[in-house]
Parts: sequence; C-alpha cells; structure tokens
Amino acid sequence: MTEPLLSIRDLVTEFSTPDGVVHAVDGVSYDVFPGETVGVVGESGSGKSVTVMSILRLIPEPPGRIARGEIMLEGRNLLELDDDELRAVRGKDIAMVFQDPMTSLNPVLTVGSQIAEAITTHDSKVNDAEARRRTVELLELVGVPNAAARFGQYPHEYSGGMRQRAMIAMAIANQPKILIADEPTTALDVTIQAQVLNVLAKAQKETNAGTILITHDLGVIAEMADRVVVMYGGRVVETGTVDDIFHNPTHPYTLGLLSSLPRSDRQLERLEPIPGQPPSLINLPKGCAFHPRCRMSAGRDVCRTEVPELVQLGEGRASACHFHEELPEEIARIEAAMGLEFGADEQEGE
Amino acid sequence: MLTYALRRTLISIPIIILATFLTFGIISISGDPLQEIRQLPNITQEQIDNVRESRGLDDPVTVQYLRWVENIAQGSFGEYMISPRAIWPDIQRVLGNTMQLVIAAEIIAFVLAVFLGVMSAKRQYSLFDYTTTTISFIGYSFPSFLFALFLQVAVVQIFVRTGVRIFPIGNLSSANPGTGLSFLIDRIWHLILPMASLAIFSVASYSRYMRASMLEVINSDYVRTARAKGLPERTITTRHAMRNALIPTLTVAALSFGTLLGGTIIIETVFGLDGMGRYFFQQLGRRDPYPLMAWLTIVAIVIVIFNLIADLLYGYLDPRIRYD
Repeated sequence: MTEPLLSIRDLVTEFSTPDGVVHAVDGVSYDVFPGETVGVVGESGSGKSVTVMSILRLIPEPPGRIARGEIMLEGRNLLELDDDELRAVRGKDIAMVFQDPMTSLNPVLTVGSQIAEAITTHDSKVNDAEARRRTVELLELVGVPNAAARFGQYPHEYSGGMRQRAMIAMAIANQPKILIADEPTTALDVTIQAQVLNVLAKAQKETNAGTILITHDLGVIAEMADRVVVMYGGRVVETGTVDDIFHNPTHPYTLGLLSSLPRSDRQLERLEPIPGQPPSLINLPKGCAFHPRCRMSAGRDVCRTEVPELVQLGEGRASACHFHEELPEEIARIEAAMGLEFGADEQEGE
Repeated sequence: MLTYALRRTLISIPIIILATFLTFGIISISGDPLQEIRQLPNITQEQIDNVRESRGLDDPVTVQYLRWVENIAQGSFGEYMISPRAIWPDIQRVLGNTMQLVIAAEIIAFVLAVFLGVMSAKRQYSLFDYTTTTISFIGYSFPSFLFALFLQVAVVQIFVRTGVRIFPIGNLSSANPGTGLSFLIDRIWHLILPMASLAIFSVASYSRYMRASMLEVINSDYVRTARAKGLPERTITTRHAMRNALIPTLTVAALSFGTLLGGTIIIETVFGLDGMGRYFFQQLGRRDPYPLMAWLTIVAIVIVIFNLIADLLYGYLDPRIRYD
C-alpha cells in the first residue's frame, strides 16, 4: 500500500468533569489513505466524534485536552502547529461536515456568504465576484437547484437536506485532502439520507479526498466505506475492509452490531440486541471495556483484568479481543441460531 | 418593513389613549388640583370658585379627560392651573435637553456593555472576567443618586485641593457657552457626570446579558463550523458570534429605555439640569394635573417609539424575523 495521507497515532483526548477525568479517546490509532473512505462505527460515547474533532483541534479547551498522541498529515504533526498554521489547515487541507445541518450554519448570514468566506479566507487573491461564482458552482455540484438565487438565502429558507448539501459544498470548497463527515445523515429524514450520501460520494470523487465517515449506521458503512474502524469505549476494537468486517468479524462487539441489524432479505423472528448498556466513560469496566456485555467472555478472568491490545491479524486487519481466534465458532453458532449468513445481505446488490 | 412600522404605530395609538386615560383618572382622584392656589396669600374663596368654574373641575372625569384631549389636538397640552401659561413650550425645552442626556447615555452604555460582555465571555473565568463581574454587580446594586453624589464630591475635592475644575457639577451649559462647536463641547463637558451616573446601571445590566448570550453563542455549532473553516478568531467573534449575541441584548436595552427615562428624575434633580426629570419632580409637588399629564404622555410616546426602533433593528439583525 502507499503512504497514508493522515495518520492518527496513540491519540488520548480527555475531559475534566466534576466526577474526574474522562478519557473519551484512549490510545486511538488509524490511517487514512488517499482517495479511500474509512468508516468509523461505534455507539454514542465510543469516542468516534471526539477523535475527529481532535484532528482539527475543535475540542473545547477547557474542559477538553489532547493529552497525548500524534496526528500526522503529510509528515506534519497537527498537534504541534501554532494557531496560524492550524488555521491554514482547517477548511483547506482538512474539511468537515457536521452532524446537524440545522444548527451548524449561522442563522443570520446567507448560505452563500458562509460558503464564499471559506474560499476567501484561504485565498486572499479571490475577489468577491469570483468567490460568488465559485460558490454558485459548488452549490450546483451538490445539487442545490436554482443555485444562483439560493446563494442569497438564509439557512432557515433551506430544507434540512439542502442545508447538508450546502455544508458539503462548504467542505469541498478548497479541494481538501481529507474530508471528515461526522454522522452527516443522522439528523435527516430517511428519504433524504440516501440523496445526501450520494452527494457526499460525488463530492469525494470530485476532490479525491481521503474521507473519514463517522456513523452508527452499518448500512451506510456497507454502501460507502472501503475500510472500517470499529470503536468501543474510547478505543479501536477492530479494523478491516468492509468485506472482512461484514463476513468475518474478529471482535465480539462487531459481531453483536451485525446480529442486531434488521435484514430485508430474511424474515427474522427477532433481532439479537447486544445485552446491557454502552459503558459510562467515567466508570469504564476494568480489563476489556466490552466484557460485561460479551457472550464470549463467559466470565474468563483475563477479560476482566487485562486490557486487550489491538493485535495485527494481517494487512490492515486488527482486533482487540483476547479470544479473537474463537470468533469463527461464535459466528457459526449465531448463524445457526438465526438461520442466516453474515455478509450475505443485500449490500452486494446496491 | 414600512407597512410593519406603520401598523405598529397605529396599534400604539389606542395603547397611548388607554394609558393617558388611566393616569388622568388616577391623578384626578389622588389630590386637590387647587392646593397651590389655596396656599396663595390674599386669595378669596370667590376667586378659588372662579378657577374651579372656569377649568370645569366639577365636571365628571371623562368630560375633563376629553377636554384635555382636545387641548392636545390643538397642540398646547393645556395651561398651568396657577397661571394661564401654555405648558407645551416648557415641555419642548426640557424634552430636548433630556433626550440629549438619555440618548447619549444609552448609546455609550450599550457600546461599552457590548465590549465588556464580549471580552468577559471570550475570557471566561479570567481576571478580567471576574473584575468586570464584580464591578457590574456593584454598579447594579449601587443607587444612582449616591453614585452621582460621590462623583460630585470627588470633583469638588479635586477642585479644592488642586484648583482644577475637571467637570462642572451642575447645569447644562456655562454662563457663556458660545455658539456652534464651542457650545457643543461645553454641553458635552456638562453632561459627562450626569451621563456616567445615569449609564452605570445600564452598563452593568446590559453587559451581563451580553456576556451570557455571547457565552451561549461561542459554544454553538455554527461557531464551531466557522472555526473548522479556518476563519481568523477576530472574524469568528465579530461576524459569526457577536451578531447573534447582540439580538437578545438589544431587546433588553430597548425595553430598559423607560428605566433610563425614569432615572433622569433623580439624576437631573441631583445635577440641577433643566430636563424632563427635574420638571416632573417639580410639578409633582404642585398637584397640578396638566403638566404631569403632559409629561406622562410624552414619556409614553417616547417609550413606544423606542420599542418600535428596537423591533425594526431586531428584524435587521435576525433574518428569521420578517415584518410583512
């Protein structure tokens, strides 16, 4: 494989709370290669958003703090940049699409001017007319109808889907090398989600940006991602290609996610939810954070006492389970119990 | 926008009519309008009865009210009870003086409060923030007349000790103010202490609102978006944060304009300024209903106008509000 574009190494981001220091991200590492889409999955509080917010240092400090780690973009550690250097990276080399387009656009400024300022702030040679022309082009690219007229409208005059399109236009305005989409469809209607994902895929193709797509929706992952990073309790628990993850998961949490997925190809008696609650970060279980909810742990001591390392299992394939070699048996057991086969769902047909 | 302004103006007419009718009624039953005349030396009962007759004081309140409205329509606000002299010229004079004082105080208070509020919010829990907070609470809880008195004492003490007269402690102008620019400078020089006394409460209260709304805005998603775009911090503060944070502060400031007008009653009396406040205070002791009614009507109209201005500014700052 080629050199990674963006490399997150051993990132630790913590928050001080009245109940003590919370390690929202605890030793996370993953890479993004040029042109690929990395899907990051995990429940709320798994640290997937905090990780990407740390990349652009958008964590409010205090109470947040990036305690340790490296974020390398083309040989530069982003965590060591001064304010001006960081500003030059934000929105230029790395751009972001946020979760909620309702609140992520400034209500008192026109949508057009908010996109145009993303262009002019990184290139002082661009005059207003030129910025306006390019903004209209961008709006057309992301499928905002009647873009020239909509340039001067305010966010409240846009629908949710249109606003998210405008956010995507803003993010790709400077041809970023890395595009981060933090749950870009979570706040939208189901009918709009697919459209916005298509726009996102198109925008990525246009810019050939390495993309980090954060979601808790495995369907979105199946459709969009090349590689997948699964996070739990502030750590990476599994990485692999989409095929690997869907066909041969090597972590019981990933397996749990897959078996809790509704399927359109089978009539299931019932879904198989992961038992228990996502852990509170203030009070993470000792040892493997997943062990209290894990069917495979079965009370084995090592799960309760030792934090499992993320072990490389092959090219781009890793698992943080003490017993990852037992996964195939477990998969067979669940497949038999539920009468289905993992990975053989409708994703191929898309 | 124009239609809205027009509609709002029309709606405020019945409000003002109702307000004046109620105050007219309350003033009529609350005292003897002839008290001042009775106290004149050598006055006879016959003369008093004549005044009562000619002014129609025995008529029902509604009739008296309608007569008063008729006077306003003729633009005179009636005459003083004690002498057949028109009220309107006096009101005109004191209104102009007071507006200079109050509008200057309001603008200075607002600008200063926005600055302090933004800086405190940007540096939350810093020494600057704590200092501003402490001074705000002192300003908030300190009676303005006492503050005015302290200022006067300080200025007099400086004069006694050094012979330098930093500010005058009374009056609107010097004995010989000149004309044009020199008159203006002289007027500003005279108004600085009263303005400071009047504005301190407003600065304290507006800056707290500005700080609170600024804190809310700088933690909002769209400010995070602005930061993620790579905008400079100054642009984020002024273009993205301040404009949103100004909206609630502006509302408070406009609605407090009446408080500021009320404050002139004390401040103008302390500094001996020939304005609305002192006029009201003087007339209050004389039990003459007509100058009081004139005062109340003018103040009501001024407050209505300022609320309208606030509404229009509100629509200008927040595009979600459209007056169609």
